[in-house]
Amino acid sequence: MRKWLARFVALGVAVLVAGQGTTAALAQEPAAGKKIFRVGATQSMDSMNPFLAVRLVSTSIHRWMYGFLTVPDPKTLAPSPDLAESWTTSEDGLTWTFKIRQAKWSDGQPITADDAAWTFNKMMTDEAAKTANGPAVENFETVTANGQDLVIKLKAPQASMLENPVPIMPKHAWESVTDMANYDSEKYPSVSSGPYIAVEHKKDQYVKLQANPNYWRGKPKIDELQVIFYDNPQAAIAGLKKGDIDLLGRMSPQEFEAIQNDPNIEAWNTQGRRAAYLQVNHGATTTDDKAVGDGHPALKDVKVRQAVHYAIDKQKLVDEVQNGLAKPADGSIVPPMYKDWFWEATGEEKVTYDPAKANQILDDAGYKKGSDGVRTMPDGKRKLEFRFTIHTDTPVEDKLAEYLTAFLKEVGITVTTVKLDSSKFTEETGTTGNFDIAISGWSVNPDPEEVLATHLCSRRPAPNGEGGGTESFFCDDTFEKLYQDQLKELDRPKRVELIKQMQERLYTQAPIIAIYYTNDLEGYRKDRVTSITPIPEDKGLLYGGSGYWPFYTVDVKAAAAAGASGESGSNTGLIAGIVGVVVVLGLGAFFLTRRRKSTADERE
Amino acid sequence: MTTPLESTEPAVQAAGSADDSPARRGTLRYAASKAGGALFSIAMVIVGTFFLFRMLPGDPVRNLAQGRNMTPAQLDLERRRLGLDKPLIDQFFDFVGKTLRLDLGTSYEYKRPVLDLIGERIGPTLLLAGTGLVIAVSLGIWQGTRAGWRHGTRFDRFSTGVSLVLWSVPTFWLGLLLMMVLGVGIGPIPGLFPFRGIESVDAPDGFAYVLDVASHMVLPCLTLVAVVYAQYLLVMRSSLLEEVGQDYVTVARAKGLRDDDVRRRHAVPNALLPTVTLVFMRIGFVVGGAVTVETIFTWPGLGQLFYEAVRVPDFTLMQGTFLLITVAVILMNTLADVVYHILDPRVRSA
Repeated sequence: MRKWLARFVALGVAVLVAGQGTTAALAQEPAAGKKIFRVGATQSMDSMNPFLAVRLVSTSIHRWMYGFLTVPDPKTLAPSPDLAESWTTSEDGLTWTFKIRQAKWSDGQPITADDAAWTFNKMMTDEAAKTANGPAVENFETVTANGQDLVIKLKAPQASMLENPVPIMPKHAWESVTDMANYDSEKYPSVSSGPYIAVEHKKDQYVKLQANPNYWRGKPKIDELQVIFYDNPQAAIAGLKKGDIDLLGRMSPQEFEAIQNDPNIEAWNTQGRRAAYLQVNHGATTTDDKAVGDGHPALKDVKVRQAVHYAIDKQKLVDEVQNGLAKPADGSIVPPMYKDWFWEATGEEKVTYDPAKANQILDDAGYKKGSDGVRTMPDGKRKLEFRFTIHTDTPVEDKLAEYLTAFLKEVGITVTTVKLDSSKFTEETGTTGNFDIAISGWSVNPDPEEVLATHLCSRRPAPNGEGGGTESFFCDDTFEKLYQDQLKELDRPKRVELIKQMQERLYTQAPIIAIYYTNDLEGYRKDRVTSITPIPEDKGLLYGGSGYWPFYTVDVKAAAAAGASGESGSNTGLIAGIVGVVVVLGLGAFFLTRRRKSTADERE
Repeated sequence: MTTPLESTEPAVQAAGSADDSPARRGTLRYAASKAGGALFSIAMVIVGTFFLFRMLPGDPVRNLAQGRNMTPAQLDLERRRLGLDKPLIDQFFDFVGKTLRLDLGTSYEYKRPVLDLIGERIGPTLLLAGTGLVIAVSLGIWQGTRAGWRHGTRFDRFSTGVSLVLWSVPTFWLGLLLMMVLGVGIGPIPGLFPFRGIESVDAPDGFAYVLDVASHMVLPCLTLVAVVYAQYLLVMRSSLLEEVGQDYVTVARAKGLRDDDVRRRHAVPNALLPTVTLVFMRIGFVVGGAVTVETIFTWPGLGQLFYEAVRVPDFTLMQGTFLLITVAVILMNTLADVVYHILDPRVRSA
């Protein structure tokens, strides 16, 4: 009986292995002749409903599905027409009139200003619809439609009006939704106005999108775009190496090194849109200026913050924490890829690594070193012992903490590392203020207004200690005034100047200390992808740019063309078949001989 | 773990008719007392779950905000929507009442009823973990029997050694290794098996679909079996070792039975009991899936769901999956007790 069982198992294994080849062949069948581009994702999607979705992967997919009033120009990143083909502004800057393009939704219905008006009004009247992009309509007084004209009246002037992040939704398909908070929008095919239509979604498995024939720029070159989800980055890298996916973005330096020498993969390493910075608790307060949290009193002194800044060797951090795949920050939170907005410190103001100068500043300010080498406050009460708060399970931050501890030890400051899970981390560093120095970072959009707004007085928690969205608890009159001025400044060069001054203020006051700008690290299969255009077009980003442009311009080899993937598929089938036969024969022989042997044993 | 509660069973006992044999009545009585104990445990779990998940650090609403700028009004709205604005005691009774009606609430993350999500995920989990369990148990019992029967032989040392090495290997590491070697392929060896999900993105229909799923199961199943079969092997081996020197085995041999028959008909049935208990206890955990394996291979099962819930964190979803897993373990433990009772006369008379 055992023998039969063994044979059965062997047969099962063989069928499986051989079947694998057959399946590979069969699986190619329906896709034959089609151009399919497959993107890997390691973040899970939060919602297919653009009113609710906040994660990068979801908003990226929505950018491929829906049109906006304007989108960043692929060359300059300045706002350029999308669904709005032109616009005018009233003299006082309060009334904006957008002319909506004559185009069609993917179901053939015309796109009108009414769709846009419905979208914005929904967000202004339904709290749940504000979930994803609430702040974008905060300043809207009224939104009305008149044929193809969309008229938005503002409460106060807003120069960043052309960077509106809200996808325009089809009124005819969405107006029946009553409970927005619980609407998952899993209806396929979706009604889209962008280059792609979502046709299928299996949660945590994949999303399938098809080219939208009604897209106003013209149908994309590929037939199908698939987003394939992996639960962990190692599996996604393996998927890219095997060719299960064609593009993978958002890699860590360590992951990037794993694909760098693969002959089939183009390793994509460009300036990124993320700034990593230290958040310094310089005296956290709520919006009514009441102190909260237990930050170290020494950090209220701008001299101490500057000394900390001088004590950090950013180049070393880049080389050893980021494996050289980043750029040391000599500016603020706007990374250099945004050439227009980027500000960099020069001359006197520039803080370069100089522990001697850091020591000098602290000595002069009266922070005396004790016999143990640790400084104390001028009043002698507290030692300069800071906590450095990082996330659990992030090896890069662990390493960063080690270096920071060593840097600050040089200037007589002790650092202990505190690790918090992400929910506790957000709470302590953003609301309760229970930290001294914390790691932080921000992926900056083409218009830096939002990231700068995270340092406004009004972003601090409300008097009851709730809400807000501050990145620093910063509240500075100069910074506030500059922010208000740039809101009203419709002349772009002048506004750029104001925004640079805001970055300068953040740099000198040091409520945050930018340490480096991480590179955008991605990889794609050069044996499959025939062309793809990054955004911005000159050394820009692919998936990391979270724009539609690379995904609209991409072209791949058709599945039927005997490309590498097809070939390896049939090879795999053949080899798997041979392996299967060998396994059957081997197992059969094994069990036969065993059987004989054991009978012989028993007969002794 | 289960506490017999004699007071909860008269109703069941009364149902037994008078002409039942005493032994059968004994079993029923025993089963009823075990069931009562299980019900009590489940009640405790429900209470425990509620408080456990409210003791976790982090405010779920703030967490949902994910660092976005939210006004206190928006936070309040979210809180009301999730029922977190009510006093704790009201929330508790709400939770208990709903749980008893099998309403596990709505997931924060997926915006869908937790029960629906569990329903979707339980199939793949049972398929993967169930197949894994069957293979691991068969392999463990087979090798354990051989190893125990001829302990000290090369087969014994080899199989015990290999299984112990695999048992000590971290699941994540082994999974990734198998993924690289058998999934991606190394050098001249091509990647043989897929390593993501339960089916291909463009999955075929009919029999080809069955093959597709089966081939997706190979690597996760292999990982799952490799790291756990040692326990069945070791338990089987040691309990068989105990039996080898027993008088009845000597008697059976003296009767002139073939070695094979002595083992199969006499020693193994007696040695099987501890393994049966172990298997039943593991069945309970099967429902929980293998969180690590499902996460490595992106298997759309309950383990992945639980992992995702922890990652968010999505309290209702965590609560629901946690409850399901514990209840399954309790039920299977109870079943193990009852089966043990039936299988082993010694337990019955005790």
